[in-house]
Amino acid sequence: MENKRNKYMNPYLAGFLIGLMMIFAYYYAGEGLGGSGAFKKVVISGVDAVNHDYAKNATYFASSVQEGSSSPLNSWLIFEVLGVIVGAIISAAYFGRLTFKIGKSPNITNKTRIIAAIAGGLLWGVGSQLGRGCTSGLIMSGMAVNAFSGYVGLAAVFGGGYLFAYFFRKLWI
Amino acid sequence: MKEQLMVSGREISNLYPHVDVWGFGIPLYLFIGGLAAGILLFATYYFIKGKADEMPVTVKVSTIIPPIIIAIGLAFLVGDLHHKAYFWQLMMHFRLESPMSWGAWVLTVVFVISIFWPLSYMDDLIVFFEQNNKKWLAKQFKKVQKLINKLPVIPWFIKFTQRNRKPIAYVTFFLSIVLGIYTGILLSAMNARPLWNSSLLGPLFLVSGVSTGAAAIMWMSNNEAEKKLFSRIDIGLIIIELTFILLLFLGFVWGPEAQVRSAEMFLGGEFTAVFWGIFVGMGLFLPAILELFELKGYHIPIAIPAFLILLGGLIFRVIMVDAGQISTYLY
Repeated sequence: MENKRNKYMNPYLAGFLIGLMMIFAYYYAGEGLGGSGAFKKVVISGVDAVNHDYAKNATYFASSVQEGSSSPLNSWLIFEVLGVIVGAIISAAYFGRLTFKIGKSPNITNKTRIIAAIAGGLLWGVGSQLGRGCTSGLIMSGMAVNAFSGYVGLAAVFGGGYLFAYFFRKLWI
Repeated sequence: MKEQLMVSGREISNLYPHVDVWGFGIPLYLFIGGLAAGILLFATYYFIKGKADEMPVTVKVSTIIPPIIIAIGLAFLVGDLHHKAYFWQLMMHFRLESPMSWGAWVLTVVFVISIFWPLSYMDDLIVFFEQNNKKWLAKQFKKVQKLINKLPVIPWFIKFTQRNRKPIAYVTFFLSIVLGIYTGILLSAMNARPLWNSSLLGPLFLVSGVSTGAAAIMWMSNNEAEKKLFSRIDIGLIIIELTFILLLFLGFVWGPEAQVRSAEMFLGGEFTAVFWGIFVGMGLFLPAILELFELKGYHIPIAIPAFLILLGGLIFRVIMVDAGQISTYLY
C-alpha cells in the first residue's frame, strides 16, 4: 500500500475530468462549480442565526434571509463543497495519505505558516467577494459559459500570483 | 417581581412564532447523557464478559469520562431551570408515568456508580498510565488517590464497589440502556410537538449515544485489536441508526399533516443541508466509510472518524431540539 502514497493522477486528465464535472453541474444543478460561495452561505446563515434583524437589513445578507425564503444553506454550493470535503478525505484514505500535517517550507515554523495561511485566507475571502467569486466560481464557471468577467478574473488572479510570488517564496522553498 | 400584561398569545416572545425555550444547553445535555450511557454500556458489558484485563481502556480507562461529563451535563440541566434552587425537589418524588422523573433518578444512580467505578480501579489506572508514558496523568491520579483515602466514608464505598463489581455491572448495564433511551423519550413524551412525537426517538437516541460512546473508546484505545473491534461495532451501529432515521421519516411522511409538515423541514426545508449534509453525510456515512477502510487494512488516523461521529451526535441533538421546537400543530 505504501507505494500508492506518492501516486497522483495525471494533472491534465484531472483537469479534463473537472471540465466534465462542470458540464454535469451546469446540466443538473443549473450552476457551475464554486468554493467561496459555500463559505459565504455559511457566514450568512451564521449571522442570521445570531442576529436575524441585522441580517435582514444589511445589504450583503438581505437577499438570502428574507422571511419565508429557504435557508441559505439549502444551496447546490453547500452540498458540492461537502462532497468535495468527503471525497478528498476518502481519496486520501484510499491512497494512504490521510494524516495530520502542515505543508510548508522546512525553513519556516508551523506558526509562521499558519499565520500566513489565515492572512491569505482572509484576503482571499474579501477579494472573492469583491470579485463576485473565486478561482472556481468566477474563473472556471465564468469561462465555461464564456463570460468576459471570467477572463478578466483569470488575468487578475494569475497575473497577481506571478507578481507577488517572489515576495512570499520563503513560505514554500 | 416584574409584572407583564399579555393581550395576546402572540406577544409572548418565547412562544411566538414558535417555542424558543431550549438553547444549546439541553441538546448538549442529551449528547452527554448518550455518550456517558454508551461508554458505561461497553465498560460493563466487557466487564461481565470477563475482559477487564484484556481490554483495559474499555473497562477501566474510558470510565473516567462519564462522571466528569455527567457533572457538566447536570450543571447545564440545573442552569436551564427557572427556579434553580429547587432542583432537589425532583429528587423528592418519583412518578412512574413521567419520563423526566425516570431520567432524574436513573441519571442520579448512574452518576454515583460512574464516580465509584473508575475510583475502584485507581491502582490499575495509575499502572496503566505509567506503562503508557502518561507520567503527568499518573501523578495526578496518585494525588487524587491520596486525597480520597483521607476522606471519611468514600474509601468504604470504593471497597464496596470492588467487592460487588459483578452485580453493579449488571445494574449499570441495564441502567445505561434506560439512560440512553431516556434522552430520546424525554423529547417524544412531549406530544405537543409533532416532530418529537415518535416512539422511534428513544431507540434512535440510544443507538446514536452508544455509537458516540464506541467512538470515544476507539479514540482513547492504544490497542489495535480493541480499535478494530470498536470500528466494527460502530459500523453496525451506524447502519442501525440510518435505518431508524429512514423509518422515522417514513413514519412522518405517512403520518398526519402536522408530522408531514415537520418532516418537510428536513426534506427541502431549512434543516435539509445541515441534517443530510453535515449529520448524515459527514457524521454517519463518512466515518462508516473510513472505518471500513480501516478494517480493510488501510492506515486511517482513528481520531478523524471518532471526531466526526462525536460531532455528528452533537449536531443531531441540536437539530432535533431546534426543529422540534419549531414544529407545531397550528398553521
